[in-house]
Amino acid sequence: MAASTQQLKADVLVVGAGIAGLQASLDLADQGKSVVLVERKPSIGGTMINLSKVFPTLDCASCITTPRMASVAHHANIDLFTLSEVDGIEKAEGRFRATITKRPRYIEEDRCIGCKRCEEACTVFLEDDFDHGLGAKKAISIPFTNAIPQYPVLDAENCLLCGACAKVCPTQCINFLQEPKQVEVDAGAVILATGFELTPIDAKPQYGRGGFPNVLSPLQMERLLAPHGPYGGVMRPSDGQTPSSIAYVQCAGSRDKSLGVPYCSRVCCMYAIKQAMLLSGSLPIADITIYYMDIRAFGKGYEQFYQNARAMGVEFVKAKVARISEDEGHNPILRIERQEAGTGPEEVRHDLVVLSLGMVPAWKPSQGGLIAVEADTDGFLKSPGMKLSPALTTMDGVFAAGTATGPKDIVDAITDAGAAAMAATNYLARTQPAPARHLP
Amino acid sequence: MSPEDDLKILIITTMISSYPGANTVGQARLQYSPGTFIVRVPDPVMLPEEFYLDSFAKGIDGIIIMSSGSDCPYEGAYPRLSKRAGRVYARMKEQGIDTSRLKLTTICTVCKAAFLKEIREMQQNILKAKAA
Amino acid sequence: MTETNTSALEPSGDPVRVGVYVCHCGGNISDVIDTKAVAAALAAHPNVAVSNDYMFMCSDPGQALIIDDIKANHINRVVVAACSPTLHEITFRKALQRAGLNPYLFEYVNIREQASWVHKGDHEGATRKAVRLVAAGVEKVVRQDELFPIKVGVEPHVVVVGGGVAGMSAAVALAGRGLGVTLVEKGVALGGRVADLDRVYPTEERGADLVQDLTRQVEGHSRIDVRLGSEVVGLDGHVGKFAVTVRTSSAAPDDQDHLVRAGAVVIATGFDHYKPAQGEHGFGESPAVVTLPDFQAALRQCPASRRGLQVNGRPARSVAFIHCVGSRQIDGVHAPQADGKVNDYCSRTCCTATLHTIRQVQSRFPDVDVYDLHKDIRTYGRGHEAYYEDASRAGALFFRFPDEEPPTFAASTGGEYAGTVTTRDILTWGEELEIPVDLVVLATGMVPRDIASLIDLRKLPVGADRFLQEVHPKLRPVETGVAGILLAGACQGPMDINEACTAAQTAAVKAAILLANPTIELDPFVAVVDGERCDGCGKCLAECEYVGALTMADVEQAGATVRHAVVNPAMCVGCGACAAVCSPRAINVAGWTLDQFDAMVDAIIAEDVGALAHTECRAGVRHIEFAVISGGN
Repeated sequence: MAASTQQLKADVLVVGAGIAGLQASLDLADQGKSVVLVERKPSIGGTMINLSKVFPTLDCASCITTPRMASVAHHANIDLFTLSEVDGIEKAEGRFRATITKRPRYIEEDRCIGCKRCEEACTVFLEDDFDHGLGAKKAISIPFTNAIPQYPVLDAENCLLCGACAKVCPTQCINFLQEPKQVEVDAGAVILATGFELTPIDAKPQYGRGGFPNVLSPLQMERLLAPHGPYGGVMRPSDGQTPSSIAYVQCAGSRDKSLGVPYCSRVCCMYAIKQAMLLSGSLPIADITIYYMDIRAFGKGYEQFYQNARAMGVEFVKAKVARISEDEGHNPILRIERQEAGTGPEEVRHDLVVLSLGMVPAWKPSQGGLIAVEADTDGFLKSPGMKLSPALTTMDGVFAAGTATGPKDIVDAITDAGAAAMAATNYLARTQPAPARHLP
Repeated sequence: MSPEDDLKILIITTMISSYPGANTVGQARLQYSPGTFIVRVPDPVMLPEEFYLDSFAKGIDGIIIMSSGSDCPYEGAYPRLSKRAGRVYARMKEQGIDTSRLKLTTICTVCKAAFLKEIREMQQNILKAKAA
Repeated sequence: MTETNTSALEPSGDPVRVGVYVCHCGGNISDVIDTKAVAAALAAHPNVAVSNDYMFMCSDPGQALIIDDIKANHINRVVVAACSPTLHEITFRKALQRAGLNPYLFEYVNIREQASWVHKGDHEGATRKAVRLVAAGVEKVVRQDELFPIKVGVEPHVVVVGGGVAGMSAAVALAGRGLGVTLVEKGVALGGRVADLDRVYPTEERGADLVQDLTRQVEGHSRIDVRLGSEVVGLDGHVGKFAVTVRTSSAAPDDQDHLVRAGAVVIATGFDHYKPAQGEHGFGESPAVVTLPDFQAALRQCPASRRGLQVNGRPARSVAFIHCVGSRQIDGVHAPQADGKVNDYCSRTCCTATLHTIRQVQSRFPDVDVYDLHKDIRTYGRGHEAYYEDASRAGALFFRFPDEEPPTFAASTGGEYAGTVTTRDILTWGEELEIPVDLVVLATGMVPRDIASLIDLRKLPVGADRFLQEVHPKLRPVETGVAGILLAGACQGPMDINEACTAAQTAAVKAAILLANPTIELDPFVAVVDGERCDGCGKCLAECEYVGALTMADVEQAGATVRHAVVNPAMCVGCGACAAVCSPRAINVAGWTLDQFDAMVDAIIAEDVGALAHTECRAGVRHIEFAVISGGN
């Protein structure tokens, strides 16, 4: 152990600061529990902060996420580590010892005032991962508008070391020589809120392996629809034209054994319907078609939301999309078979296509690292107490929240996080001698 | 100084939505006229009809209420606010104040373009009303 | 049982002395705004005692400037003009506190995100604007009251209404946390609907085992008081201190009502199965048409024998399952419910429950022909899809009927089968099919239980679907509009066991948060009544959406009894709807008074900061304290 290793003791270690990890942390910290929250990315907020609006209320995602992000950042009981990776968690004598690497931002956080002058001065443009490659960012930049914390990150791989940023920084906080820092956390319980990733867009050869510019992932469409999106509107990436015909291919990454994803991803029907509604608002003359197998609008208010979309003129076609190709103008061509007409296979051309990709775990136990809990056959964490104790994992004292145990929408991930926080609290009550206070 | 910059436009913003929305505009370094004064409130439903009328009487040129709309965390506040705005419009008419000098709108935390559009439109409304 | 917990202390009488601090933000502000000019302009304000500019106000030396001025220069109000308050409002409030000043005697003026960054090309205009904004901040802060958090004493006890899996799950979680629980169950036993289930999907555990597992935990817990055959008939008080009357009808007449003091209430009253209307798909007209729960019960009792599947003493060689009975109803197609509306929601659980049941039929009675008539198959959950696949592989035939044309059933007289189901099938291009069947199973959805009497006790919010309504599905998913009353499980909408238990444990954690300490500390930004100005007109009451937050009461004042508005700060959310209609301005939201807003507008309009009036410590400037702790034990 390096002499500079920071040592921390906490009631609960929460891994992942997406909406589930944030909520679980708050639900613990608000009870007076001390929390160490570790996030791999430079900002907290997870996938939710990346979205435009959310179903079924069509609230602005940022408006709902940012207050929670701020509460976490300012909470006296939460120690937050961003751009940090949990290298491993060992259980010994009823407690958990985690080693964490805090990667360098190459800025001194205690001096940075988040003014973005470095970003303005930087001359290196990179693909913006927050906009899923649709926009550009600088080699030193704050990850996105409402990122928390509001510190820039310097991309050391692409930085030219020209020093332009350091020259303009009013607080001289840029440090090109910053090293990773080691942190050790001794915690009484662990919550895994490791989240999901989309099924890869290039997984399916029949759908062009991600090679068609006007075939988008749903998160790219979220960015196009967001008021602070990369193009300031919905345009085709290939030529900047406004699309007049947009199609959604449902189950593009779910209910598909060939992809190893036989399960339903639960959110794709609803996000496609939501995007379709937002598109018909911003592009009133565009035709929007959703090719689907079953519409699974099962949550509270979801069916009504689906029916509203139908009433608004979004076209729902029960059809399998066998193949996607494109013409010389980069117009995607879908080979479909309508199940309601029975006219045999046909080809339809659209200006823009969104593949409704599914969810796979962002971290799988089979990858190793992190912690020795077991996965289920679907790759997500195993829930040995699925019916009555949904937050349990296969290791006593380790709980799961959100999409770590399978696809979930935001509403379900948030309630799931509360249950995980409750389970962790009660585990602490059973296992850790509590200091005298109002409640154990 | 352009005529817009000499105006005094009051922008009523909410803690949950439009105040952070105005910050987003700043973070993006989008530019608008300094003849704009952002006032933060928990919710605009707390301001009485007289507040708007008195402000116009004092010399405020225009008022944009940037509410949270359906994102409003307070029960029943938005319907009350819009009803109140309706009554203020009626009283503005009675008093001969151009009603385009008051606007009730909804601005979210990342509604950058809409924020700028509301200011631009209000400036045009006021200048038109002044010219008339 | 409303305590008077608002008290207005006497004015301190100290002269109001404001310190103004204009931040350069390392050039972020000062490159556009002439910060020295702003500080100089504000120095002319009659209430401003100190006005400075500084490179980084948020830095330790910046904060030290403020602290030193409070201590040495008797500054008692502070205005900082800098970046957004979202970044450093807490920083500066803490600095005031460290210097011994009430942290709320502070105003933050945003001249970075909302001035220097957005008026880069107009230094003069931006500077002029900054002067007006800071002057408005000064005018606001001189009218600012000292504020203190609202402290509400709490009972470390929760009443859980409903003894199904959700209620038991919440009770066990809360008791594990150290809280006392009264678990109120209307029926004669714990367990609710799950006790009726044979096997549950996807774990294939027995419903009875799940119930037994939870019941054992409930009964083994000394902190849980189970009251069977009981109902909640009274629900007074507020978060932290509810007074709940639990009535046990079977008890002796003079011992039926039991008063429980609780800090929070969890409602877990569950759902009812939809009962099909007479004639709906032939229901009530033919014994061959049954609901899914009834079929499940029959299946459970049907012995495995060579005679095959028998239901109600009749053979069932061919069974059709019809989905969405009582759910996803369409105006004009389905008959309205008692309230005149159709059930337009999806019941979430019936698709998987149906396919799970089909799998049981198929594995026990492989010779039975199974038909599944649906709109969409919604096997969304973990492990659910396998039932769909397996059912299909085992030979179930799936037909998709159009939304507007639900299948019909006609009993046959003397035919080989009990009757015929007629449906249109989209999957075979809209063909009309006639299916000979012995039995039709209706996959009935969930409807809310009739809990009108409980709802009426506190005007609990109910959605268009008649289920109890949360405040916001994402921000406050298990909270009702009444602080401290929480929702667990299917009383809020259709849920399966796993989902109901998840919701219940979330409700438990929200209660645990509320009751974690002997007192709840709430933000001080709630409505405050000035007793001298209130004329008792009651207009404010009509504006208040939060039941119990605002009442009219007779109050002793200067030897006389007067009627005026009284705020319960534990229930007020501080929206200010009341303030807007009070002509004498007797009611205001603490920290956001209308006098403050008027004065801010005056400052924005003023051409000369020095010409603004000096504000004395007026009658309106007071120390507002909400410190009275009600409750404890």
